Amino acid sequence: MTVSAAPAEAILEEAQPGRRRRVRGSSDTRAYGLATITVIYLLWALVPVAITVLFSFNAGRSRSTWQGFSLRWYTWDPTGSVLNDESIRNALTHTVLLAVLATLITVPLGVLFALALDRWRGRIPSGANFLALITFVIPEIALAIGLLFMVTYLATPFGLGTWAQVIGLVTFQLAYPIVICRARLLTIGAHYEEAARDLGASAIGAVRRIILPMLFPAILVSAILVFADVLDDFVIVRYLSSDASTETTSMRIYQTARAAPTPALNAMATIILVVSTLVIILGWLAYRRWSKRQGDTTELGSFAGNL
Amino acid sequence: MADRPRRPLSRRRLLQASALAVPGAWALSACAREQPLGGASSAATSAGASSGAAPAPSPTALQIASPQNPVKWPINPGNEPIASGLEPEAGATLRIYNYPDYLDKAVVKDFQKEYAEYDVKVEYSTFNDYPEALTKIRTGGVPYDVTFMGYNFIARLVYGDLIRPLNHDYIPNIQDVWQEFQNPWYDLEWQYTVPYVIFTTGIGWRSDLIPEDIGARPNPYDVFWDSKYAGEIAVLDDDREVIGMTILRDGGTDVNTADPAVLGAARDAMLEMLSLSQPRVTITGYTDIPEGVLSLSQCWSGDMITGQYYMPEGVDPSVLRYWSPPDGRGMIGNDYMTVLKGGENPVLAHHFLNFMLGNDVSLKNFSWVGYQPPLRSLTPETMVADGYVPENLASAVVKPEWFQVGYPLLELPPEVEGEYQAIWQQFKAGA
Amino acid sequence: MKDRSTRLLWPILGLPAIVWIVLFFLVPFYVVLCVAFGTVDPVFRTPIPIWNPLEWQFTQVAVVWDRLFGPDNFYLPAVLRTFAYVAIAVSACLVISFPVAYFAARHAGKYRGLVLALLIAPFWISYMMRMLAWINLLQPEGLVNKIITLGGLIPLDINWLSGNPFTVVMGLIYGYVPYMLLPLFASLDRINPSLLEAARDMGAGGFDVFRRVILPLSVPGIVAGSLLIALPMMGDYFTSDMLSKSPSTAMIGNLINLSIVAPGQAGQAAALLLLVLLVLLVPMVLYTRSNARAEVRS
Repeated sequence: MTVSAAPAEAILEEAQPGRRRRVRGSSDTRAYGLATITVIYLLWALVPVAITVLFSFNAGRSRSTWQGFSLRWYTWDPTGSVLNDESIRNALTHTVLLAVLATLITVPLGVLFALALDRWRGRIPSGANFLALITFVIPEIALAIGLLFMVTYLATPFGLGTWAQVIGLVTFQLAYPIVICRARLLTIGAHYEEAARDLGASAIGAVRRIILPMLFPAILVSAILVFADVLDDFVIVRYLSSDASTETTSMRIYQTARAAPTPALNAMATIILVVSTLVIILGWLAYRRWSKRQGDTTELGSFAGNL
Repeated sequence: MADRPRRPLSRRRLLQASALAVPGAWALSACAREQPLGGASSAATSAGASSGAAPAPSPTALQIASPQNPVKWPINPGNEPIASGLEPEAGATLRIYNYPDYLDKAVVKDFQKEYAEYDVKVEYSTFNDYPEALTKIRTGGVPYDVTFMGYNFIARLVYGDLIRPLNHDYIPNIQDVWQEFQNPWYDLEWQYTVPYVIFTTGIGWRSDLIPEDIGARPNPYDVFWDSKYAGEIAVLDDDREVIGMTILRDGGTDVNTADPAVLGAARDAMLEMLSLSQPRVTITGYTDIPEGVLSLSQCWSGDMITGQYYMPEGVDPSVLRYWSPPDGRGMIGNDYMTVLKGGENPVLAHHFLNFMLGNDVSLKNFSWVGYQPPLRSLTPETMVADGYVPENLASAVVKPEWFQVGYPLLELPPEVEGEYQAIWQQFKAGA
Repeated sequence: MKDRSTRLLWPILGLPAIVWIVLFFLVPFYVVLCVAFGTVDPVFRTPIPIWNPLEWQFTQVAVVWDRLFGPDNFYLPAVLRTFAYVAIAVSACLVISFPVAYFAARHAGKYRGLVLALLIAPFWISYMMRMLAWINLLQPEGLVNKIITLGGLIPLDINWLSGNPFTVVMGLIYGYVPYMLLPLFASLDRINPSLLEAARDMGAGGFDVFRRVILPLSVPGIVAGSLLIALPMMGDYFTSDMLSKSPSTAMIGNLINLSIVAPGQAGQAAALLLLVLLVLLVPMVLYTRSNARAEVRS
């Protein structure tokens, strides 16, 4: 089970464009079949969400009967709209606040750890790395309950609420920057740093001036991933929330989706969707600028592939 | 990592780790949070919810109030009422802890407006049931000011020193409620609580989805064991209400029983219910029934009255129905408001209680939550005529005399409560 | 001199994350142990953790064990149900995502970027929002019922949202399939096309190529993807809560979530959680290892 390294494959493809086309040509019918399945899958995956977005613009209360286009649930409904319902507004701002704080802490922690792991061998770093990877696959409820118990039964300097939520989220997300940056560091290899050291740079200088800039795409991608994932988080933020002021949008959907929702709930979910889309687009633009400067030609696909 | 194959955990490392664990544990216990325990000592007790292995706490630990045994609660030293004539806290956030949709937001806004000179903010946080609320109040660390509870939790609130005795000077509006609630059996001389709303537990449904007259059945509770309605019915997400209803269905009257035989039979019946009708377990019947997500649900009387405001477009509220035993021999209760000791704004909390009790505010709240306040100005006869309750839901009006014959859910001794919780857990596990 | 400072640099860089992991992953985990092996307050029935491992009591674990395998084993149905749901959902995710990932990796051609972006899109849409979408669609008056009854022509009254196991499993598939797609795409994308061609040149038919080349080469992706969705599903309670709310579809996650705030049961929740983690330890380690191996390979 040997798999050739990706670059070699790319070279192969570049060198033999004709052959690749021939392979594809020989399996046209199968490709059509696969394309059909893919289109059906995409419809199934995206249409329900599109309908949810659509109904956020419904003029009436219903979430299943269209009663005309309106911004009622965003702006002008006096009590129920996102703009006028303080609790929805609060959920939105709190969700974004958590995402910002968690990203600001997770990414530097993870990047530094990935750098350390690249050079520092031994039981401590590999044990810590193992634990970080475990946090990635452990059922989230386990982490949430652990922190809930810790905050409840130990005299931690922080109680339930924003900081407990941030701490839980950072712990849960830490694996992203570690894994992504380590993968990138492995492809960068040691020779750039060695060259810099040969030219007289200190270790810190080499990291700061050579490695970190080359790590930029990995840092960017992990920041986007963490940010978007935190916007989406439910289990940790719910277990570690204190009162209404630390409620997030996902908690609100969970609580009211089965109780008494209006299209304002759809509107709130749509706004979060817009926020995460914006972050991805900004990330993509930054990525494109970076790769232009590096002289790479890049397209959406390779950025997406990185995610 | 590539150059170093991960070695399996060796015994030596395991020993090293466990050698570290003990001092580590000591360090942890040094920073353990002090539990706000009452008098009970914790060291000698053991766990075990259903096995009954737990030794009974000292009998003096919990006093159980009941209509036959009214209780005047002690006032724990250091927990005296606040002084009279204090100004409400300025710039405060009043934290209210309650069921969702159990208080009119407009009334909260009115309160903020009335106390605008003190720059008051109100924050409304919610719980799903009382046990959760009690746990969170005790350990959650959020300084809630006011909570709404049922009387099956008052002994523990007092015992745990979690609530604050009231200074009656701040609450003149108590005059507006029924006489019996100015000296209720669960809190003689209303030292800690003021009444909020009263309710019965019964069955709500939509007559267009279930054409049957449930009340006409020989035993209306049987509807939950009717596989005809599988997948479209629900019971309340509340252990006491469901177990109590099951006991009543089987002909019992003691909804607070400690008799293992009765409880065992109730458990079996509940499991049978699960397999026959796969009920959902939820307290959101007040929206689910109007919306048609459920056709029928065990619910509280107020749920159906408020349900008329959740009707989907095109469906008339006149299809809502509610049944509870017409002779009043069903489960009946009231919730109270109380000031939590951990709150930061005790004066403002007193003002809030008084505000909520006032006749006009109370009526306004009633017309939104659908739960009936025990107001003197409100008689069962006039409630329908005045438009608070639609005619098809006249059965949801709570009559004062029912409090003489109905079955209140009382507080249980902890070990009995454990039995109830175990049954409930089994029910909710879907086994 | 310089050399030593260099050697120290890496541990210093790594230290914050290590401290973080110890404080907020290991310590909480230890607290869970202390609660699971602790006692219960007699009146409030809240857990009292026992900090010293030498004094740990096994009452709670025994209770949980009894409920799993004893005469009163009412946890067991929920556990078996969870395994069944997860097995079905993971298989379905695999069946759905394999052709899709294969198409994206091999046949998308000039649409590759677009297809990939669309495949990743659900990944960005909040899980709760996607569940909300289905709640809206599956309401009694919702679009799904309107379509299958042809607008009310056929008197078919399906209640999707109350204790319907089909809905819950569908929700799991819908919710988790994006997490399966990406690793699968990555591993299929890595297969060298000349290998397929060589197989074909040697006379292998389409199915043979799939069975003997593509499938074996995509095993790491299949394993990683399956683990990546199966593990979180084992702790999932919100999907069942959102789409059913009936005990008849309760999963292990629901048992734990319910017990955690119920009086007298937090310790049992902790003990149950520990048992679940113990069972999941093998697949978790498997995942981290496959992850490490993938790192080495790239």
